[in-house]
Parts: sequence; structure tokens; C-alpha cells
Amino acid sequence: MSAFAPEHDVPIRYMDRTREYYQALGFAPYRWAHFTDAPFEPLRIPLARARVGLITTAAPFQPEAGDQGPRAPYNAAAKFYKVYSMPVDAKPDLRISHVGYDRANTVPEDLDAYFPLARLHDAVGAGRIGALTSRFHGAPTNRSHRVTMETDAPELLRRCREDGADAVVLVPS
Amino acid sequence: MCHQTVSLVARHLEANGLPTVIMGCAKDIVEHCGVPRFVWSDFPLGNSAGRPFDRQSQALTLELALRLLEHAPGPRTTVASPLRWTADPDWKAKYLDVSKLSPEEIAERRREFDVVKAVARAKREAV
Repeated sequence: MSAFAPEHDVPIRYMDRTREYYQALGFAPYRWAHFTDAPFEPLRIPLARARVGLITTAAPFQPEAGDQGPRAPYNAAAKFYKVYSMPVDAKPDLRISHVGYDRANTVPEDLDAYFPLARLHDAVGAGRIGALTSRFHGAPTNRSHRVTMETDAPELLRRCREDGADAVVLVPS
Repeated sequence: MCHQTVSLVARHLEANGLPTVIMGCAKDIVEHCGVPRFVWSDFPLGNSAGRPFDRQSQALTLELALRLLEHAPGPRTTVASPLRWTADPDWKAKYLDVSKLSPEEIAERRREFDVVKAVARAKREAV
């Protein structure tokens, strides 16, 4: 019989970790979005004929917004507050200095590790999926659930429909 | 915050007839929100699409997402990537570990946070 994994080798409890951290800094606990149900829409056509969209929380590089390099500290000036769209046929310059990724354990030097556009192109080339939509979209990361649900999500839906997406891959940074 | 944002967006798209799948690292945040389909990688935040400079790892992670789109039997389906960040799980203790900070360091982090927050607010209000 093989040995058990270490007790602490479990998914990181990010909500607890964040709560403890910000409480230590003197902030009230954040209320995370929580639902007990979830919607479900089956994919109604074969993936090999489907047009797939992509949504990211990464931000386009902004020359005026300070250090956005892979070792940059958290950079609020590099945030964005409106949904953006860019074509999928060129490799975009997207950065994640504006979000709280794990700076203790990773250095985001490879776009493909947080933005799967190149692998999606591979999948189209291999015939695994039919096509990509002509553009991908950027979702602003906002502490306000209301802004995400009432402003950004409807705008992203509108753009995905305009693109003729049959399915959408969403990738947080 | 990124994981919560995409979870809320995925729910909205799905509720309006568009099938979605999320690729991510923060299992608790995504499952707490409740989403249709989710590929979980037990990797540090920032590697939702696979290991850096490892095409095979990225291709596998995407393939799991595509299979979920095709075969998930219902909402709240999570599939765990079999990939490991490192054999040693000790990296997991290092993220936002407040227990290792001195009171002076905590005060400094608070000051930094207030500065960052002011920058974000100014930028948001300029939009």
C-alpha cells in the first residue's frame, strides 16, 4: 500500500487566507460571492464545429502605468475598469501586475501560463475545435460584485454573442 | 478577485445560453461562487492555463477544459488537473502568510495597501 499524502497537501483556502491577512491589516472581512446553485447550458454542437471565445482578467500593457514586469509589486495603476476586446490573430502583450497572483511562488514570465490563446490556436489547428472568435475579451476585476454582475458581465455577454461564440473559456490571472 | 470575477461572468453567460468553462487555481473561491464547469490546477495563482514554458502542461490543461465542455453531466462539475507544481507541497504555506509578519511589517503592508487603494480609486474615477 502506498503512503498517504501529507495532511497539509490540500487545496489552499484562499478565502480564509485572504480574510486573515486583511483582518491583520485592520480591514473588515470581505463577503465573497456565494450561490448554492449554478446555471447549466449543454454544448449543442460538436466541439470540432464550435466557435470558441476567450475571456481573461489580464491587462494590456500600459506604457504610462509604471512597472508591469514579471517581478513588479502589485500595481493598481495598471488596472482597467472597462471591458476591452483585442483580435486573436496577434500575440497580445498582456500583464498581470494589477492582480494578486502568487508572488511568493511564481514569476509570470510566460503569457501562455495564464492566457491560453496559443494553445487554443493549436487546438484549432489540430481540428479539436472548429474556430476561435475573432477577438478575445478582458474582464475588469472589481471588488464590487454589483459592478461585475450588472455592468461587466452583461457587456461581455453582448460581445460574445456579437462574435458568434458557441462556448467560452474563462481564465483568471 | 480574478477567480470571483470570472465565476460571476461564467454564471451570467451560462444563464443566457452560452456554455462556459473556467480554468483556474483557486478552488475554494470558484466553488463557493458555484459555476457550471471548472478545471482546477493545484498551482500558484497566476498559472491557470498550465505550467510556465511547458507546452505539454498547457495543452493538457486546455484539453481538460474542452472535455468538460463536451462531457460535463451538469453544473458545478470540477475536474482536477493531475499535474503537480512541485513534489513538495510546502509552497502552499507561503501565500499571504500573515503569521510570519511582525507588527512593524503588518503596519508597513497597511500603509502600502492604503497607497495602492488611493491609486486604484483615482484611476477608477478617471474612467
